[in-house]
Amino acid sequence: MNLQIKPILTALRRHKSGTILIALQIALTLAIVCNALFIVHQRVERVHRPTGLDETNLITVQNRYVGKPDTFIPLMKTDVATLRNIPGVESAYVTNAFPLRRGGWSTGIQTEPDKTKDSLPSALYFVDEQALATLGVKLLAGRNFNPSEVVTVGPQTTPAPAQVIITKAIADKLFPKGDALGKTLYYAKGKPSTVIGIVAKLTVPWIDFDHMDNVTLMPVRFDSGYQQFLVRTKPGQQDNVFKAIPKALYASNRMRVLPEKTGIRTFETIRAAAYEADRGMAILMTVVCAVLLTITAAGIVGLSSFWVGQRRKQIGVRRALGARRSDILGYFLTENFLIALGGVIVGTMLALGLSQWMLKYFEMPRVSFTYVAVGVLLLLVLGQLAVFAPALRASKVSPVEATRA
Amino acid sequence: MLKMTHLAKVYRTEVVETYALRDFNIDVKEGEFVAVTGPSGSGKTTFLTIAGLLETFTGGEYHLDGIEVSQLNDNARSKIRNEKIGFIFQAFNLIPDLNVFDNVEVPLRYRGMKAPERKQRIMDALERVGLAARARHYPAELSGGQQQRVAIARALAGSPRLLLADEPTGNLDTQMARGVMELLEEIHREGATIVMVTHDPELAARAQRNVHVIDGQVVDLSEEPRFHAHNHAQTARS
Repeated sequence: MNLQIKPILTALRRHKSGTILIALQIALTLAIVCNALFIVHQRVERVHRPTGLDETNLITVQNRYVGKPDTFIPLMKTDVATLRNIPGVESAYVTNAFPLRRGGWSTGIQTEPDKTKDSLPSALYFVDEQALATLGVKLLAGRNFNPSEVVTVGPQTTPAPAQVIITKAIADKLFPKGDALGKTLYYAKGKPSTVIGIVAKLTVPWIDFDHMDNVTLMPVRFDSGYQQFLVRTKPGQQDNVFKAIPKALYASNRMRVLPEKTGIRTFETIRAAAYEADRGMAILMTVVCAVLLTITAAGIVGLSSFWVGQRRKQIGVRRALGARRSDILGYFLTENFLIALGGVIVGTMLALGLSQWMLKYFEMPRVSFTYVAVGVLLLLVLGQLAVFAPALRASKVSPVEATRA
Repeated sequence: MLKMTHLAKVYRTEVVETYALRDFNIDVKEGEFVAVTGPSGSGKTTFLTIAGLLETFTGGEYHLDGIEVSQLNDNARSKIRNEKIGFIFQAFNLIPDLNVFDNVEVPLRYRGMKAPERKQRIMDALERVGLAARARHYPAELSGGQQQRVAIARALAGSPRLLLADEPTGNLDTQMARGVMELLEEIHREGATIVMVTHDPELAARAQRNVHVIDGQVVDLSEEPRFHAHNHAQTARS
């Protein structure tokens, strides 16, 4: 195949409008596609980011009691016992929140009793001795709570139990030397809590939070009519337990509300619901990319087909002068490559500019060069694929075309 | 140089077969200047396209520079067109997007020739046709006669064994036509083999030998010597 870059460039200079239009289309597509794909990547990464939980075989129950407030604690205790007695259940506990719930408590942790500044934000999970097993969270150091350590806290009280378990993220931030175990923390003014354990990783209930891994587990039974239960089932028992939970709870006490859609959910459902918007954005961006790439490919096919039609005689002349079919094919592929190359050079600058703009106005991270490189490659390959059919048609033009009027 | 024996070209449709050439015989020796004449539709252009390997034929034999071409594949035919044949078309067929230099360069690039040699050959060919000064001009900036001279330079640049000219002065006025014809005669005197298709008796008369084609068959009139164009024109019409 005979590459003819110089004469192709010379010829393109005489077809400026078509060339510039396609190159610009490629440039814009690249700018949008690599930023969009970067967003898709970020969203997909978010959708799959770990919570620190063992999310399989985990069921959540959202429950609201109907009745007098002073009945809530006994009802809660009965419900926990009921859930633990369902065949197939490994462990269960009652809580206020858990990762990806998108609602919960947070407070500032102090290391000194009276200091009010420089507190470290932390989400608070109210748990009991079965929480670690239910969540599947790994204890790195220290010990679990004892049943006797679980205290009841009323709605108007700031919880500050004597013992807490914190995540490694908090331990590392507050005690960089690695000696967090046994230290005293303050969650309420003047009320000390001793760190009795450190867990590897556990995320906050929210999906957008500056300190995603700052979580404190407190041995607290929260006196409220609105509770969450977490249930870990034995492997292969999730479906059976899922069906058994409402029956068991209603059999124990009918004075409750288990919302139809959000009452009993697998953790899989919780994750899907938490990241619904991210997944939607990823799908939307993917569709935008697909549409843009299709339009660009169609533009290339259209212009190339037009040029092939317009240059039939010229192709015939080239064939008459000794061009092989592969030379004609190569001519159109090279021509497209040169246009696309111009497009991706401009497009790279546009992509980085667009990323800079989004960084400035939407605080989005700067697009990675890998994505620009992938976008460049994608558009160059797309250009070659799009031009291939018209180029193949061109290569089939007979040399006798040169003699036709 | 160019020998066709019992050559046939048939265009077939579902219902009819049309013979463009039938039992077509011609033998052009090296260094000859042959004019192929005939009325419109006689098959002279079909002959030229087959002679130039622009089209295949249906039957018979065709030897070009000693090579039997009927079995050659497309690439081999392209190579022969590129290396052995120089084309001069009625409509010049220059590529409008390329300047004179680049137009003459086209066949040399397909030969894979190195740039310095290409440049030398292009400038020599343009000197030869008196247009070296117009190397950077585009075809649209040249007169018809100049364009045809560029086309001749393009045909000559590759040092072909055979020049095929299809009504080379058909699109030119008398003065320009005369200039082009003189150039072809000069090229012939330097040893080139030229086969020219024309319906112009005056031009045909300036060739060494005339081959007349009627209904796809050759009527050789070369045995009857002619001394000037008007006599030949009358002969041709008679």
